[in-house]
Amino acid sequence: MRTLVRRLRGVLVAGALLLLAGGCAHVQSYQRGRLVDRIMSFEAESKKDARLTKSFEAREGSTGGNGGAGGGCACN
Amino acid sequence: MQLSVRIGTAAFAAALLGAWATGAGAAPFSDEPMAGSMFRWFTDSEKIGVRSFLGDCSLALFGSAVAVHWNRENVTIPAIEAPIGSPEAIDAITTASRPISGNAYQEFVKVRNEVTGVATRGPATVEYYVSSENDYLAQMIGGRLQRAVSDDQLTLTLGSSWGWDVIEPVADDDTDTGADTRTTLHLDAVATRVLTPTTIVRLGLEYNMVNGLQHNPYRNVYAGGTYVPERHPDSRQRRDAFVKLNQYLSQRSSLKLHYRFYNDSWGIDSHELAPTLSQYVTDGASMRFQYRWYSQTAADFHRDEYFTTNGVDGYRSGDYRMAALSSHLFGVAFDLDFDALAVPVQALRPLGLWFSVERYFNSNDYSANIVESGLTYRF
Repeated sequence: MRTLVRRLRGVLVAGALLLLAGGCAHVQSYQRGRLVDRIMSFEAESKKDARLTKSFEAREGSTGGNGGAGGGCACN
Repeated sequence: MQLSVRIGTAAFAAALLGAWATGAGAAPFSDEPMAGSMFRWFTDSEKIGVRSFLGDCSLALFGSAVAVHWNRENVTIPAIEAPIGSPEAIDAITTASRPISGNAYQEFVKVRNEVTGVATRGPATVEYYVSSENDYLAQMIGGRLQRAVSDDQLTLTLGSSWGWDVIEPVADDDTDTGADTRTTLHLDAVATRVLTPTTIVRLGLEYNMVNGLQHNPYRNVYAGGTYVPERHPDSRQRRDAFVKLNQYLSQRSSLKLHYRFYNDSWGIDSHELAPTLSQYVTDGASMRFQYRWYSQTAADFHRDEYFTTNGVDGYRSGDYRMAALSSHLFGVAFDLDFDALAVPVQALRPLGLWFSVERYFNSNDYSANIVESGLTYRF
């Protein structure tokens, strides 16, 4: 189990570095129309996610996963 | 470690104040002005019911975007059903997680009121939260700083909050916990990046340092052949990392994937995976299907049975959240946007309606249903 956890952590860190290193194509502003659609938005469900997290906290031992509410969609 | 965290938090607060002072006139409103209300109904297999009436309002005020949220909750805990004086009734009373003062065989009702105020000016957001119930007062102040770089292709956010709770247990027949406090320092860093015209990803790290009373003041635990008050450590460091990937699909649908890894100083590790599929039925009407899988390990001090009253290093828990468990959640939601639906009555166009149902169950033979319905009005 510990090995699995370490591997998952590794995947998370490697994924983060790859994504933030800038290895992706530049997407022009006019190409971001679909990213602001309600069904793609992080913010559209942020309040609902926060309510669910609160319910889970009353039944489970962990917390988190909603950080950055209002963190923008990088698609202005 | 704690000193460096505090120095970092103080530096963050100073930066936040600076950004707030210079943010006048810069992008004063990120969300459109609106008002909304909703009803939430929670019931579970232990026959606990929670009815919540929530409201939201956001508007422009003094060059800032201001939002207020309030919530009034009625929590109903059923009376103990076992026959009076039976061993089952005595067990239920002694291990209850709510106060019992001669009222074990009556329904227990409590009310919680909560208000949150949020103000955004330029790249800075500040927030205050207060929640009150008859034995618990929670308050929190927080702030966030946001910066878009690489032609708005990457957004970085730093957030922090400080929460302080006052716990004043009411009369309980078999516990005598005095008034106590709890504080929570929260830090988070989040990056959101556009990958392609149809893909966006968010990565986040969160850290919480919690100090103070962290067990139920009304609960006893069976340990060493007798009942003794529950006791958890006074300090807990909680951290998690999460990834959210949103992909627009063909046929006007989207797939959202969420993964979170959590770890804390009490020995709990957890994984959460939640895919969500959204689909437009027509313009202005969409459906959402959600699944969530969750699994956690037990806290170091949790045991199914304690052989001495000392428990494990002086700690003992009757809280099943401290045990290993797994859970599943299935949900479906329906959203209506009257403007996009182009309803013929002009006065109805600022309205939005939504409805959702969730079914939750975990490996402790526990299950719950959550029903929500809401109404929004855009100014």
